[in-house]
Amino acid sequence: MPDPIRVAAVGDVHLADDLRGRYAPLLEGISGEADALLVAGDLTQHGTVEEAKAFADEFDAADVPVLVVLGNHDYHSGADRDIARLLTDRGVTVLEGTSTTIETDAGRLGVAGVKGFCLGFHGRCAADFGEPEMKAFTGHGIETAGVLRRALDDLAGEEPDVTVALSHFAPVDDTLIGEPKEIWPFLGNYRLGEAIDETGVDLAVHGHAHAGREKGLTPAGVPVRNVAQPVIQAAFRVYDVVPRRSA
Amino acid sequence: MNEQLARDLERDIASDPRTNELGIRLQVRGERLVVSGEVASEERRATVLEVVREHDTGLEIVDHIMLSAEPGPGGPDHEQIDPPQRS
Ligand SMILES: [Fe+2]
Ligand SMILES: [Fe+2]
Repeated sequence: MPDPIRVAAVGDVHLADDLRGRYAPLLEGISGEADALLVAGDLTQHGTVEEAKAFADEFDAADVPVLVVLGNHDYHSGADRDIARLLTDRGVTVLEGTSTTIETDAGRLGVAGVKGFCLGFHGRCAADFGEPEMKAFTGHGIETAGVLRRALDDLAGEEPDVTVALSHFAPVDDTLIGEPKEIWPFLGNYRLGEAIDETGVDLAVHGHAHAGREKGLTPAGVPVRNVAQPVIQAAFRVYDVVPRRSA
Repeated sequence: MNEQLARDLERDIASDPRTNELGIRLQVRGERLVVSGEVASEERRATVLEVVREHDTGLEIVDHIMLSAEPGPGGPDHEQIDPPQRS
């Protein structure tokens, strides 16, 4: 069996000045455990540039590539672009409908990322019908899944040995169990799951569902992990993803 | 009406820029207003309670807010993810 590519992940760290010092000491020397660190959105509590600085300062301690998507909290103050720019300047890879590859000792890791959006799941989802506001809500949910699919299609051209889909919103409802069912349409989007199932993904990682559970599967059987910090209750988890084909 | 008050307060705690906490639940139990849910720091707990107190409910505020477990040191959990086995 080929060696695994070691993917560390956490989400929903919701950083602000009051949480400075909480992550940095735990991320030092992470290269001994993992080849890359993925952060599944809600990097900040209120979406301010100040909080993004706190995130950058804390996650600077990681000695592996740090790849993130933004979450809904990171959009709250309308500073999402400034946050993305600051993080990029600080050496963090911000994915939004984009992908990147990282060469590791065990092969090439490809990660495609998108924040995602609400929509819901089969039988209990928003419909593209009625008022313009409803159509805009639904349309954005559908669009964001198309954005993920295109990013994954592009990534396939790079022939990664392991492909990971990173989002903030959940692509399946398995990992929402524990959250009140009434809010599931605001927590995830089954179209994201469809995009994952159609593009050869080995692992899907998301956050946002603080009261959900860690493990789930897409309809086609791709492992999904909810790494929201309140769920994993650790600074990060490491997934040792074994490539499909030997090198 | 108690139910309404609790939902209104939850909405305020979610939308107040000082808190923006989406995971706080409120329940009225007799003369008491129970605040529960999870926040990441003592400071955030204090701010949530401050926002609740600003609403003159006349109820005794009971703090059942939990602090989320601070990520501790020690080795991380590794989980092996295998490719699909086709027989
Ligand atoms: Fe979150
Ligand atoms: Fe979120």
